[in-house]
Amino acid sequence: MYSWIKLNTSADLNQLEKSISVEYSPKLVSQRLVGGISDAVKSVLIEENYVDKDYRSTYYNFYSKKGQKYRADCVRLHFFDQTVSFDEDGLKLSWEGDRLDDHYFGYMVLRPTGIATIGRTILSPDVRSGAKGSIITANHKVHLLGYKLSIQGFPSMDQHIDISVCAHAACWSILRHYSEKFNIYREFHTHDITLMAQQFNPGGLVPSKGLEVSHAERVFLEAGTFPLHVAKNSPNDPSFYRQLNAYVESGFPLFAAMHDRSHAIAVMGNEWRPPVNTGIPGMRYAWDEVTSLVVVDDNDLPYRSIPVKGGASYSAEDIDAFIVPLPEKVYYPADAIDLMVPKLFILHALIELPPQNETIVRYFITTGSGYRNFVRGRESEFDPKLVEEIMQLPLAQFVWIVELATEDQWSKGYIAARAVIDATASLREEMPFWLVHNRKRAVIFKRRVVGDGISDLEVLDLSGMENTALTRMDQNLRPIQVK
Amino acid sequence: MTKNEEMAVKPIDSPPPVDLKALDDFRSAMTNEVIPEIVRVVEKRRLGAAQSRHWQLKC
Repeated sequence: MYSWIKLNTSADLNQLEKSISVEYSPKLVSQRLVGGISDAVKSVLIEENYVDKDYRSTYYNFYSKKGQKYRADCVRLHFFDQTVSFDEDGLKLSWEGDRLDDHYFGYMVLRPTGIATIGRTILSPDVRSGAKGSIITANHKVHLLGYKLSIQGFPSMDQHIDISVCAHAACWSILRHYSEKFNIYREFHTHDITLMAQQFNPGGLVPSKGLEVSHAERVFLEAGTFPLHVAKNSPNDPSFYRQLNAYVESGFPLFAAMHDRSHAIAVMGNEWRPPVNTGIPGMRYAWDEVTSLVVVDDNDLPYRSIPVKGGASYSAEDIDAFIVPLPEKVYYPADAIDLMVPKLFILHALIELPPQNETIVRYFITTGSGYRNFVRGRESEFDPKLVEEIMQLPLAQFVWIVELATEDQWSKGYIAARAVIDATASLREEMPFWLVHNRKRAVIFKRRVVGDGISDLEVLDLSGMENTALTRMDQNLRPIQVK
Repeated sequence: MTKNEEMAVKPIDSPPPVDLKALDDFRSAMTNEVIPEIVRVVEKRRLGAAQSRHWQLKC
């Protein structure tokens, strides 16, 4: 039932071939792992006869109906660091320190399907070779030998090939993240996803013929999200990528379609270039600082890094459209923010902003409560009068945040000014703001009367903030700490 | 800016004079430039999304 493999290097993962039955395709699995995880993984616990809910959903509805006999259970591999040991007689784990979680790198389920056997996988990004940047994660609970473990990561699995394709796998990854991260979303299994994509139960092998992008949109709609579908307007459409990046930095993983490759992936992280003083005039966006995206591709282990341009396989340039499964109350699109931002500098006479051609702009969505939580956690940065106003503003559930920084501030994680914009605003609103502030002044829009945006405001001159820095709001992504 | 609008602006803690003309300029830019462009771009994206809905994904 349980066996333990000690590793000196990840190359020792070849031992899996001796320990795991052929229907789980251990040779291909070990090849994938050897090149994909770091030497920080020093042991693997093999858990046999594991009942995996995602595989079972396909077993009950497909594999059990086939002539060849497929097993109903899976194998699960658990990855640990060098401090953990296993007592095979007592079936107990021992470790150094207080928490076993600190020594656990996640798990990988192997399906008994002969081909494409890598099933539900939650792997720590810290042990993924080549992973870099920051990613969206959720906390995933794991029950093993009576221990309750948790691992921060993003779900991934290989497509089944015979009953599901890349687009199903990308939808599944995103929706499993949602069900773990947000308690308003339920859990969907692999077979559920194949059904949700169609109006009727397609049955048989129909799902393996592929999905259209509209089917993926339908999956997210059926799951209770409000999918926004954004397509590239032209081959060179920087606004498309700025929006893609904004949604990722808002903590929303994206279903990304690559038309020429007939391929779909989940985009769930990015990497910024090291701060550099370019000295080049011109307004820039956070996207201009991104060097690579972090994606979940069902042909690979999770957290693959793809460059913005070029690369051996594909790059961000190959993404032609994306679907962002939004919550209900985000009406003001990123297009509107993107077009409005350059005009913000008109407000300079009222509230001092950095020179437009020296500014780096970053925009993203957060919740009103998330914004207040950020402010509360950094009260010392703010004039208490401003904190009081922010706590009392009748914010909608979601807000767009626009942060303006000079190159120097960007390199230190600071900003010069911040605008808080109502994410429930309509496209035609002239003043969709809740608040614009820098370290000297705040303009507060009460938004109490529809159509009265410019008169229902307060101007607050701030004090005590002259010598404090305003911190950039980085809350949604977790930095990868390479081990 | 109307007289009523001026009166609705509540200065707090005796701030220095506030130039609300910038808000008028911003509002004007939104009305005349940004909002028409937002409407145009959002419609263009909608049409582009409609086309991309039929792309096959199977790799």
